[in-house]
Amino acid sequence: MGRNIKFIDISKCDGCRACSVACKNWNDLPIEIEPYNGTIQSHQNVTANTWNVVINREVVQPDGSLAWHFRHTACLHCEEPSCALACSENVITKREDGAVVIDEEGCVGCGYCVTNCPFDIVQLKKVKINGKTYEKASKCNLCEGRIAEGLEPACSRICHTDAIQYGDYDELMAEAEERLEVVKKRYPDANIYSPAGVGGTTTIYLLTEKPSLLGLPENPEVPSSIALWKHVVQPVGKMLGVGAAVAVAGLFVTKKIVQSQTHHTDSEHKEGEDHAG
Amino acid sequence: MATQVNRRQFLKLSGAVAATLALADLGFNESNVQAKTKALKIQSLKPTPTICPYCAVGCGILVYATEAKDDVVYTEGDSDSPINQGSLCSKGGSIRQIYTTEKRVEKPRYRAPGSNKWEEKSWEWMYEQIAKRVKETRDRTFVEKEDGIYVNRTDSIVSLGGAALDNEETHLISKLMRAGLGLTYIEHQARI
Repeated sequence: MGRNIKFIDISKCDGCRACSVACKNWNDLPIEIEPYNGTIQSHQNVTANTWNVVINREVVQPDGSLAWHFRHTACLHCEEPSCALACSENVITKREDGAVVIDEEGCVGCGYCVTNCPFDIVQLKKVKINGKTYEKASKCNLCEGRIAEGLEPACSRICHTDAIQYGDYDELMAEAEERLEVVKKRYPDANIYSPAGVGGTTTIYLLTEKPSLLGLPENPEVPSSIALWKHVVQPVGKMLGVGAAVAVAGLFVTKKIVQSQTHHTDSEHKEGEDHAG
Repeated sequence: MATQVNRRQFLKLSGAVAATLALADLGFNESNVQAKTKALKIQSLKPTPTICPYCAVGCGILVYATEAKDDVVYTEGDSDSPINQGSLCSKGGSIRQIYTTEKRVEKPRYRAPGSNKWEEKSWEWMYEQIAKRVKETRDRTFVEKEDGIYVNRTDSIVSLGGAALDNEETHLISKLMRAGLGLTYIEHQARI
């Protein structure tokens, strides 16, 4: 079996938002009430406690009619995730099953992942631990526990129109190509969205309009500054840091040993006891 | 000063260097950090099948309750149900909250005519009141004959069926309401 992907055919979505509910249900996320914003959309964007939102866009068609588009949005699980590159603590991992997962325990809330996510997905939430409030990065984890057990994510499980499907890459991509031909007859700008700038994504969309009309970046990229920082500046810095620490410790120990040798040349047995203890 | 290192000092220095490097390695080697997989929260739980209480479609739902049966951990569509085949809508998907919400009403409540307060009552009291009042209203307003024709009806009571009722239940309700009590206004939630 090849790798699995989440395939979202937005032309099949009827905007029922069951995926959002299932996400909250499985991940035990708290309620977040946002004021009515004039459309069927429940939340403006994903947040640290709402990992999954159905984006609603009204687009005027060439013939003057109005088309409603619904796009389930959650983490796209990039193949080259900027958030993992940006993470100062290395607690964001791209796993073999495709999920980009944050290990919350190790997260220090620096927010580098938030500023570097090209899709504006990762957010910080406040967590109380022993009476103190900490910030932790939080986002969709592709229901990591479920996919590890061979189940599908909660959002694709609940979807009643099969707009969200989870399964084998080859099978779903074949379906995507097939659907694209059909959808293009009604929406000429339809396209398959899995941007190369982030190495492709584990969530692949069949979009009915240009990405920008549906709230997605046209050409998202891994910020080059972040790659430079991760692959060059950080390792060099660490090497320098470790080198400095080793040098200082070495100097200290050498000095001690040499000093003790000069001061206690005639009390060898006492020094021996010190070091044994 | 020119440092002279004898054999004893050399061994000590080597040990110190090895220890420092080992510590540095422990503290800084982060490349092997892997996110642990969260335990599946329904791993050891046995699901209970039920039917969605909301609309007339009657989707199958699996309820994952804790072993102590004091909390519902997860609910999902029943793949074995021929009706929804595992999927649900947003309303059916939120059924877990029927049990877990703090807004849940756990005892029957009664608001007396003209009162602005709800009182908690027992089920027995409720059944008795309903039966008593239905009978009283029906007897008071029953029309046996109209223009010399037997009609045997009351226009003062309405029966409103719910979408989750099945065939047998609606049959029994119709019998009771039409033949038993003489109602003419028998309606269904889906038509209003």
